[in-house]
Amino acid sequence: MTVTPLPPPPAPTPPAASSGGRTGPVDEPPVVIGDDSTGRSRAASTWRRLRWPLTVLAAIALLVLFLAVVRPPTSAAPYAPDNPEENGGMAVAEVLKDQGVRITHVTTVAGAVAAAGPESTLLVTPSPKFFADDQISALNRTGADLVVLGADYAMVAAVSRNTIDSTYGEVDGPVPPQCDDPAAQAAGEVTLRPGLYDVNAGAGGDAVRPVLCWPDGLGAYAYARLDFPNRSVTVVDDPAVIRNGTVLDEGNAALALWMLGQQEDLVWLVPDPMDVSTGDDEPTPAERGQVNAMMPPGSAPVALVAVLTAVLLALWRVRRMGPLVVENLPVLVRSAEATRGRARLYRAARARGHAAAGLRASTADRIASRLGLARSSDATSVVDSVVAATNRPSQQVADLLYGPPPADDAALAELARRLDILESEVHRP
Amino acid sequence: MVVTWRAAALMGLGVVPVLLLPANGTVLVWTAVVVLVCVVDVVLAASPRRVAVQRRVPGSVRLRAEATSELVLRNASGRRLRAVVRDAWGPSAGAGQGRGRSERVRPASGGSGRHHVNLPDGEAARLPTTLVPTRRGDRTAGGVTIRSLGPLGLAGRQVTLPVPGRLRVLPEFASRKHLPSRLARLREMDGRAAVQIRGEGTEFDSLREYVVGDDVRSIDWRATARRREVVVRTWRPERDRRVMIVLDTGRTSAARVGAADSTGAPRLDASIEAALLLAALAGHAGDRVELVAFDRTVRSRVVGAAGPRLMPAMAESLATIDPVLLETDWPGVVTQVRTRMTQRALVVLLTSLDPAAVENGLLPVVDQLSRNHTVVVASVADEEVAGLRAGRETVTEVYDAAAAARGDLERTAVTTMLRRYGADVVEALPDDLAPRLADEYLALKAAGRL
Repeated sequence: MTVTPLPPPPAPTPPAASSGGRTGPVDEPPVVIGDDSTGRSRAASTWRRLRWPLTVLAAIALLVLFLAVVRPPTSAAPYAPDNPEENGGMAVAEVLKDQGVRITHVTTVAGAVAAAGPESTLLVTPSPKFFADDQISALNRTGADLVVLGADYAMVAAVSRNTIDSTYGEVDGPVPPQCDDPAAQAAGEVTLRPGLYDVNAGAGGDAVRPVLCWPDGLGAYAYARLDFPNRSVTVVDDPAVIRNGTVLDEGNAALALWMLGQQEDLVWLVPDPMDVSTGDDEPTPAERGQVNAMMPPGSAPVALVAVLTAVLLALWRVRRMGPLVVENLPVLVRSAEATRGRARLYRAARARGHAAAGLRASTADRIASRLGLARSSDATSVVDSVVAATNRPSQQVADLLYGPPPADDAALAELARRLDILESEVHRP
Repeated sequence: MVVTWRAAALMGLGVVPVLLLPANGTVLVWTAVVVLVCVVDVVLAASPRRVAVQRRVPGSVRLRAEATSELVLRNASGRRLRAVVRDAWGPSAGAGQGRGRSERVRPASGGSGRHHVNLPDGEAARLPTTLVPTRRGDRTAGGVTIRSLGPLGLAGRQVTLPVPGRLRVLPEFASRKHLPSRLARLREMDGRAAVQIRGEGTEFDSLREYVVGDDVRSIDWRATARRREVVVRTWRPERDRRVMIVLDTGRTSAARVGAADSTGAPRLDASIEAALLLAALAGHAGDRVELVAFDRTVRSRVVGAAGPRLMPAMAESLATIDPVLLETDWPGVVTQVRTRMTQRALVVLLTSLDPAAVENGLLPVVDQLSRNHTVVVASVADEEVAGLRAGRETVTEVYDAAAAARGDLERTAVTTMLRRYGADVVEALPDDLAPRLADEYLALKAAGRL
């Protein structure tokens, strides 16, 4: 019934008229064809709408690009070779680079193991975490000369094959090396904290004996060096030796360059606290962060199809059927809000006297009008009339209607209840 | 450019070739195929900009009554038009599902006023949408959105056309159910022999023969002397009195009244109901009714309409007034009444008895009105406050009841003051106000106080 072929249009609308506006007689509602837009005007309006967001995005992209190109990459990690701050190691690293040492900056044990090998030096800077046992042994097995700074006791014991151990020592001034290690001799006096001691001190044996330098007089040393057949291990307890802020104190710079510049290649390990790799063997896929290795083959393209399908579903749902229709809404303020607000004020102020007075006056007003009393009647005549109507004791009625304010909330509720009962007992005379 | 769920389904079907040939290249090729098919579909779709659209809307409809907004679509695109068309109306226009059911037009899901259209080139169809408006006033239609899909239904083009449409929603006049009983009372008064009250203003109607039961005081002895039988005078209520209804559209009329568990309706709506019933009654009684809606300026006015033209004029002018968040200018109201009413009239002020507002606004000027006119102040009471007044369950409710009682006392004081200044006061719940005001009018008429 609803489809009624209308009489054919008076003039077939030519394509050119599609951009035209409304026609129709005066009484008839207007007929609308098209929205007066052309492809060009729509493109122009899209451009007008998007040009400022696009400009802002382009400006941000340019700024990021500019900063990335202009600013040298630096980090804020302590002891990192690209950290120019007080706690960084950039000073030593730059000098070493100038001297032709190739520095490889790594942050994982796996990276260090991969980069280090014979004919290279592996520097392990102080770590904010403890290395796992297998990580220590991995670092120990690279074949590179090992330089360990500020390590914990497990690391020290492992790299020195239990010949030295950590301890605590104090130093209050420059100390001469008091050993015949060439690096120590070159450095001369230093103020490094002594924190190492010789486990086998005094005992003979054919084990490799550490060379210990800068003693504090109580058996603690600042520097230990072990020469194994094809590599050496150097342990310095105080990492100040390479820190930018302290590297120029006494002989620190000489000691650092001597320790780290022995080989052409230097692997600089700044451990990442989250690193669990060992570099021992082929890392498992889970360690590489690859999930799809656990999936059946071919699931990656299927997942891609699923994502694209989801994108199309989103495009389908996100497009509204035209804009929302706006409507002015009336204010939504309840008339009773004033009364409720006043009740809350009474309650907050514990104004039981006011509340009771209101209830009493209202009840007395209704009773008075029911008994035909004038509005100006005084309390005595109201009480007398109520007594006559209800046969209640006069004192009780006077107390109810004109008594003292209730002492607490329970008394107020009781008063309201009793006023109701009184009112229900009063009938028209 | 829009895509439908079919495009997503086609993309999802790509799982089959990808499982047969698991490589990223397969995904790429399939995506290209889907995009190509969608683009072809868009190109083959009828242009929604070449469809002639006309919206036919009835001029006005009563609140909560049903109206039909009809779109007339003529396909001039040169292709078959497969489209979803939305006849957009605001929420309170109460648009329902599309109604048409045929092979060319059928309702579409997803929202109100949507139609599936399948229209050959050069033909036209009507798309009816039911409107049941839920708010008084002018409801303006939004645009007409045409989403034209290609032959495969995968993708299409969409445009929203600015097709004008406006539906004026008149007041519901639910109080007209009280009209028959009040008209009966009016006729009773009209035909009553020998009106008991013979005060000033009652009009002499005619003489007729005495029947048992007539008041002996109404016997006209002079006429009786001229004739054989005893003759009594009959009276009828005055006609052609003037009634002026003043509707306060100031801030107090915006507050919502109604039960605590409903959103309620603005006080103004109850006032409008009362004004309509009073106007209908007074119109039937032969009085001349005028109306002015006023806050700080005149928002609406009905002057000089009588007989069958009165109620349409009232409904039309009351349809579009809305509460204004301003304090009412009561001296301005007095000026309005004075300029319109030169002789004695019944002035009905439909406002609120909010004590503070009345003390600062109406009270200082009401005696200027009551000096020359009969003044009735009608106010809408709040059902929610009435509910608060009876609460005794918890201490909180007792405090609410105390606050409501205190409010009552203040309102009673204001009412007393108004009565002292010579105004009558009618206060009732929203549903009761219209009949109570009508009764007040009848009582005044019977008493000859108009």
